[in-house]
Amino acid sequence: MIQMASPAKETTDSNVVDINRPSARARVQAFGGFLTNMVLPNIGAFIAWGLLTALFIPTGWIPNEELAQIVGPAIKFLLPLLLAITGGRMVGGQRGAVMGAIGAIGLIVGSDIPMFLGAMVIGPLGGLIIKKFDRLVENRIPAGFEMIVNNFSLGILGFLLMIVSFFFIGPVIESANNFVTTAIEALVATGLLPLLSLINEPAKVLFLNNVIDQGIYYPLGMQAAAETGKSIYFTVASNPGPGLGLLLAFTFFGKKTARRTAPGAIIIHFFGGIHELYFPYVLMKPLTIIGMIAGGATGIGVFSLFDAGLVAGPSPGSIFAYLGLTPKGSFIGIIAGVLAAAAVTFLITSLILKMEKNKDEEEDELSDSIEKSKAMKQQGKQVVNSSKKDENIDKVSFACDAGAGSSALGATTFRKKLQKRGIDGIEVKHYRIEDAPQDSNIIVVHKDLYDRAKHAHQDKEIITIENYISDPNLDELLDRLENR
Amino acid sequence: MLSEQLKGNIHFLKSVNSWEEAITESAAPLLDDGSITPEYVEDMIENVHKNGPYIVIVPGIAMPHAKNEGGVVKTGISLLKLEEAVPFPENKKVNLLFTLAAEDTSGHLDLISDLSSLLIEDEVREKLEQANSEEEILDLLQTVE
Repeated sequence: MIQMASPAKETTDSNVVDINRPSARARVQAFGGFLTNMVLPNIGAFIAWGLLTALFIPTGWIPNEELAQIVGPAIKFLLPLLLAITGGRMVGGQRGAVMGAIGAIGLIVGSDIPMFLGAMVIGPLGGLIIKKFDRLVENRIPAGFEMIVNNFSLGILGFLLMIVSFFFIGPVIESANNFVTTAIEALVATGLLPLLSLINEPAKVLFLNNVIDQGIYYPLGMQAAAETGKSIYFTVASNPGPGLGLLLAFTFFGKKTARRTAPGAIIIHFFGGIHELYFPYVLMKPLTIIGMIAGGATGIGVFSLFDAGLVAGPSPGSIFAYLGLTPKGSFIGIIAGVLAAAAVTFLITSLILKMEKNKDEEEDELSDSIEKSKAMKQQGKQVVNSSKKDENIDKVSFACDAGAGSSALGATTFRKKLQKRGIDGIEVKHYRIEDAPQDSNIIVVHKDLYDRAKHAHQDKEIITIENYISDPNLDELLDRLENR
Repeated sequence: MLSEQLKGNIHFLKSVNSWEEAITESAAPLLDDGSITPEYVEDMIENVHKNGPYIVIVPGIAMPHAKNEGGVVKTGISLLKLEEAVPFPENKKVNLLFTLAAEDTSGHLDLISDLSSLLIEDEVREKLEQANSEEEILDLLQTVE
C-alpha cells in the first residue's frame, strides 16, 4: 500500500483523511518523546554541574572560590544552550541546532534567571524557522550560491531571532515574577500554608526559586525567627523530600536512561542539596508536577502540624543543611515532614509513570487494529493516486527507529534488487526516521513506524512495508522505478 | 564476514515461553562474550514494546536490535533457531532470531549486506530453515558471501 503524505482534500471518505494525519495518540506520544529526547542526552551535563556546585560553592562540602566561578556561567549558559541545541537539531538538523543556540543566547542574556524552559521552546522554534526557510528556497538557489545563501540565511535569521528573544523575554520574566509574588502573598494571607506548594513547585522547576525563597520566604522567615527562634517559612520551598520521592519513582518505574541516571541524581539532590538535578525529570514528564505539588503540600502540612521550623534559610537545600539548622525540639517534625513529602511524591509519581506505560501498550494494540482496518479501506484509493505521481525519483531513504538495523537491511537488499534489474541513478540509504534527508523522494518505513515517519516528513511520499526483503509494496516501487 | 561473526554464536532451542525470552536467549552469546551489556537486551525488548514488531523483517525471521545507547561494546551478531516458532506481537510467528548489536550506524554494514544476501534468495532461506547444526548454517553462509 502506498500512502501519500499530502492531505487528501479531494476525498469525502473521512477514514482516508484520518490516516493521512498522525493520530492524536501519535502526537501526544511524539510530544512526550520530544521533551524526553531534548532533556535526556543532556542529563550528564546537569550531573557535572550538580557535582561542581555541591562541592565548591561557599556552603558546599569543600568550598573553593576559584572553581565556584564555573557554577554561575554553567547554569546560565551551558545547560540552556545544550537544551536549545538538542531541541533545534531534533527539528531542523545541524542548521536547526545552530539556530536554536543563537535564539537561546538572546533569552539568556535578556534574563537574570536560568532559561531552561525558554531554551526548550526557542531551540525547536529556531530549528523550525530555518527548516521552513530552507524548504521555501529549495531548488530556487542559483547553482554555486548554495553556500553563501545557506550561511547568510542562517546568519540573518539568527540575528533577528536573537534580538526578538532578547527583547521578548525580559517582560515575560518580569510578569511571571510579579504573578508568583502576588499569588504567594495572597496564599500566605489565607493562612493555609500547604497551598503554597501550588505555586512553589512549578516556580522552582521554572527556576523562579530564588525569587520566591530570597524575595519572599526568607524575609518572612527571618521576622518570625527573630521572635520565636525558628520559622516554617524557611522550609516551604526548600524541602528536599519531594525531589527525593520523584527521583526514587524514576529509579523504580522510569524508562531507560531516565531510570539509570535517577539514582545518581538522588545523591546530588538529597545529600548535596542541588535541587536543579530533579528539574529535568519534571520537564520531560510534565505530569509529574502533580506529585511534586502533593508532596510539597504534605511536607508543609506535617511541618505545621508539629509546629516545626528551621533557624535560617537552608542553602543548598540538602538534608544535612536541614538537620544542621533544625533547633532543639523540631527534629521529629522536620524529619517527618521530609519523609512524608518524599513518600507522597513517590507514590503519586510512580502511579503517573506506571499509568503512562500501561496506557501506551493498550492503545498501541487498539490503534493497531484500527489502523489495519483503515489501511484496508485505504488501499483501493491509493492505487488511483499513485499513478498520478511525478516520477522524478532519485533518492529513496529507508528509515527506522535507530537507523542502524532494519533500515540498513532494507536499503542493502533494495540496492541489490535495483542492481539485479539494472536500474541505476537512484541513491538508496538508511537513516533514523527523523534524520532522513529533506531531498528524499520516497521514505520507506515499517508500517508500525508510519505515524512517526508521517509526523517527521509531512509532505513526503511514505511507503510502508512489513517485510524488509520482499514486500509487495517494494516490488511495486521497483516496477515504478523501472518504468520511470 | 557474517559467517566469521556468527561462529560460536549460533544455538538451537526447542521452544521458549515468550518473545521476550526468545530475544534474551538469542542475545546470550553476545552477552557472554562481553559484546553487549544486559541493558542492551532490555533496550531491544523495550524497542518492540514501543515501536511494534517491526524487527520481524521477513515472516518467521526477526532481527532484534536497538539504538546503541551505551549498551553495545562491540559490534556483533548471534543466531537463535527455535524448533517451535514463538509469537511476537500482532501474532507474528518467529523461529529464527538474528540478534544484531551495532556500535554505530555504519560499522556493521558488511554483516547486514551478507544477511540480506542470505535472505534474498528463497532457495537459500529454505535451506536455512532446514539446517539444524552450526556447521550447516556456516557452510550455507559461505556460499552466499
